[in-house]
Amino acid sequence: MTSFYPVKCPHRRQGSVIEWLIPMTAEIKHGDIVLEARGITKRYPGLVANDNIDFEIRAGEIHAILGENGAGKTTLMSILFGLVRADEGEIHVFGKKVNFRSPLDAIDLGIGMVHQSRKLISAHSVLENILLGHPQAGSILNFKKAAEEVGHLCDRYGYKLDLNARVWHLSEGEKQMVEILKALYRGAKILIMDEPTSALAPPETKKLLKTIQIMTRDELAIVPFITHKLPIVLSISQRVTVLRRGKVVARLNTADVTEQRLAVEMVGREVIFELERDVVEKGKPILQVENLSAHDEKGIHSVKDISFSVHEGEIFGIAGVSGNGQQTLAEVLAGLRKAAGGRVLLDGLDVTQTSSLDRWKKGIGYIPSEQRAVGSIGDFSLVENMLMSYYYDDAFSKWGFIDFQKTRRFTEELIAEYGVATPNADVNARNLSGGNLQKLILARVLSRKPRLIIANLPTQGLDVGAMEFVQNKLLEARKSGAGILLISEDLDEVMALSDRVAPMYEGEFMGILPGETADRETVGAWMAGLKQKAVEQ
Amino acid sequence: MKLAGYTLKFEKKENFTGVEAAVISVLAILFALFLVGIIFLQAGVDPAMGYYEIFSYAFLNPFGLPLTINRAIFLLLCTCAFIVPMRAGLWNIGMAGQLYLGALSAFAVAFAFGARSDAELPAGVVLPLMVLGSAVGGAAAGAIPGLLKGKFNTNEIVVTMMLNFIMFWLVSHMIKEGGPFMGSGGEGEGYRLPASLQPQPNLGVPFTFWFAIGLTVLLHVLFAKTRIGYQIRAFGLNPAAARYAGVSPFKISLLVFILGGLIAGLAGYHYFGTVPGLFKIPKNYGDFGDLAFYGIICGLISQGNPLAAIPLAFLFGGLTSGGRFVQGKLQLGFGIDYAMLGVLMIILVAFQFFFRYRIVLKKDKER
Repeated sequence: MTSFYPVKCPHRRQGSVIEWLIPMTAEIKHGDIVLEARGITKRYPGLVANDNIDFEIRAGEIHAILGENGAGKTTLMSILFGLVRADEGEIHVFGKKVNFRSPLDAIDLGIGMVHQSRKLISAHSVLENILLGHPQAGSILNFKKAAEEVGHLCDRYGYKLDLNARVWHLSEGEKQMVEILKALYRGAKILIMDEPTSALAPPETKKLLKTIQIMTRDELAIVPFITHKLPIVLSISQRVTVLRRGKVVARLNTADVTEQRLAVEMVGREVIFELERDVVEKGKPILQVENLSAHDEKGIHSVKDISFSVHEGEIFGIAGVSGNGQQTLAEVLAGLRKAAGGRVLLDGLDVTQTSSLDRWKKGIGYIPSEQRAVGSIGDFSLVENMLMSYYYDDAFSKWGFIDFQKTRRFTEELIAEYGVATPNADVNARNLSGGNLQKLILARVLSRKPRLIIANLPTQGLDVGAMEFVQNKLLEARKSGAGILLISEDLDEVMALSDRVAPMYEGEFMGILPGETADRETVGAWMAGLKQKAVEQ
Repeated sequence: MKLAGYTLKFEKKENFTGVEAAVISVLAILFALFLVGIIFLQAGVDPAMGYYEIFSYAFLNPFGLPLTINRAIFLLLCTCAFIVPMRAGLWNIGMAGQLYLGALSAFAVAFAFGARSDAELPAGVVLPLMVLGSAVGGAAAGAIPGLLKGKFNTNEIVVTMMLNFIMFWLVSHMIKEGGPFMGSGGEGEGYRLPASLQPQPNLGVPFTFWFAIGLTVLLHVLFAKTRIGYQIRAFGLNPAAARYAGVSPFKISLLVFILGGLIAGLAGYHYFGTVPGLFKIPKNYGDFGDLAFYGIICGLISQGNPLAAIPLAFLFGGLTSGGRFVQGKLQLGFGIDYAMLGVLMIILVAFQFFFRYRIVLKKDKER
């Protein structure tokens, strides 16, 4: 097949390391090696992020790179895209050795990247975003021609997208499409995708998988980097390279592996997928929410007249794709945001107007979704981070002076109990990996023995091992009689943990289903807002 | 960077100790003095001799040393006034206004006791009240930006900056023609404190010296050990996380600005109320407002560490007095003292790079 858009760019900069043009129109046959990494090693102080990594990627292939957090995926991805330089090793693209000085070199060679956190300008239109940085865009933009060409691409891959829509109007899945289109229009032959399905609702994920399949027919090589979601790996990729602690531990053909096998390779031990949910007697209600409404920081009415209750020994799951008001709801319940209407009762007492501090003292524990921006203070040591939930506790201070020795001992105990991997308690929280930081936050919140736990995306971005740990801790808390409000985007998680499930869409609960009888399809459809449409029709 | 078979690299450091920071800062000072030495050479002065003159005047000379000490105290207080909000992530640019109001309040207390008449006043009562007055005055000036920040999230930089102008003209109004605090000479100066309210230096230093040092140590303890200090630091490093931890942004904003203003107010009392030969708000009081801005520099260089501010305040205090002296004595061009201070500040800040990075020289592997 021939490419749509021969990109002639390497001559842009004089003395570029790339002294040859990519043979864009030359035939790339199915199965040709398009990218090859040999002996990639990257060291950071005290850590070998990539240790002698070899792999090759072929045209028309989906080659997943799987690994836990801290396995070296991000480093590898950055090296392939020219963001970071390897200390040792070689990269060959289309059979030629390359030396990336910046992502621009990588892009010029036909490597495209679809970032997990979207790199789009939200106030600009789709077309403007796609054109941004395109070498042929020139100083005068030919929107008409570009629109036509991008339109061809859309048709080919079955994208339905209004090119003149502003990016902030789009859903996460559509934004991802824009990123993919941008890379393709720039001439990408190798597409690196960072956690491609992490922000997508189930129907959007399905759609993405379908288009990826079509793209491989055009001999594009697709390299998704995935932390968990093993079923996705199995369903789309032909081959998978598993990283663990910076090393390649397995190269597998997905046709002959199971989810279990992948998990073992990735974590290095057996992972129990079936969580043990004991039967717990449901007690009296701890949290009662009555007709709650609230606005988010943009002033959008994002929680609309919600009522529910959480009982002792119950996990109440809210399933939904991010941005449907869960964040606002969690913040209102935590006292970090004012309610616009309705009441919040804790043990029958109205706490709607009380401060967060009051609520913590009354027995609410909150695990925020943003570990680094809200849940911890990066430049504080672990001891000081532990104090975030204890500085106001008289057991840890006297006459306004904090007992740091006691806090340190306490922190060390919790670090041991929760298995936070760290050299000592004086390390700054910034240096912890995502999973370890989440364990620390969990330790801090749960050690106060809260009666109600609000867990907002508690396993987001965690690897399989850490995820299992967090989920078990929540189940333990449930067993000891705490009520838990679990907000999650991960349908499997909500279904596995919750006693009752409420799919949330555009600020409303689409219904509240008992955990035993709820089925995946219903919950998935409801959280994508399909129920509402059905009613309207 | 490659150098004949070696590779020069900057490696990120996890942490740095106080000793490291001190060594790096001393190296920075030496390097800055070396650079300024080139200016001396240009002006035809032997740098060694120039520095000898500066430092001997600033730290040994019987006229220069008290000047250095008085300026250092003033600078130290201004630095602390900057540091407290800085630790909460807020910028206090209003030390000048706060010290003006502090000084005015101190003189208002004396005025209320009838200081403009020559009556003998009970210094044991009036002096403490003057100190207290300056603290309250400064705190009041600080409370304005604090309140606005806490309540309406108004930009504290703009508010403190604008208050500087208001306070500047308020002082003018009070001490110049027809103002209640006008001096008897009618020279546009404030009235002079009677002899009974002129505290004399003890061991060569005014009592405010001990105040300033004590305050600095207290601040250090406040940040390192106390609950409230912890909340301030948490808020400064990550306001969202601090809010999540239950810290009230309103209380913290108000508190740090009141505390900062209070300390700046004391600086005002110190210079106009205890420096021998002054004991009044002089005509050129605006110069002290300008000097207060060095508090920002010292605060930034010390990275919010009050203890580190002590040597810095003495260094800058000494260089401002010694630099001006040497400029006259050696007949150097105008502004060489400012040039010296400027170079020193830039180099000190630039060298802070080495707090976080170390230089590593590695031999390249044979290929």
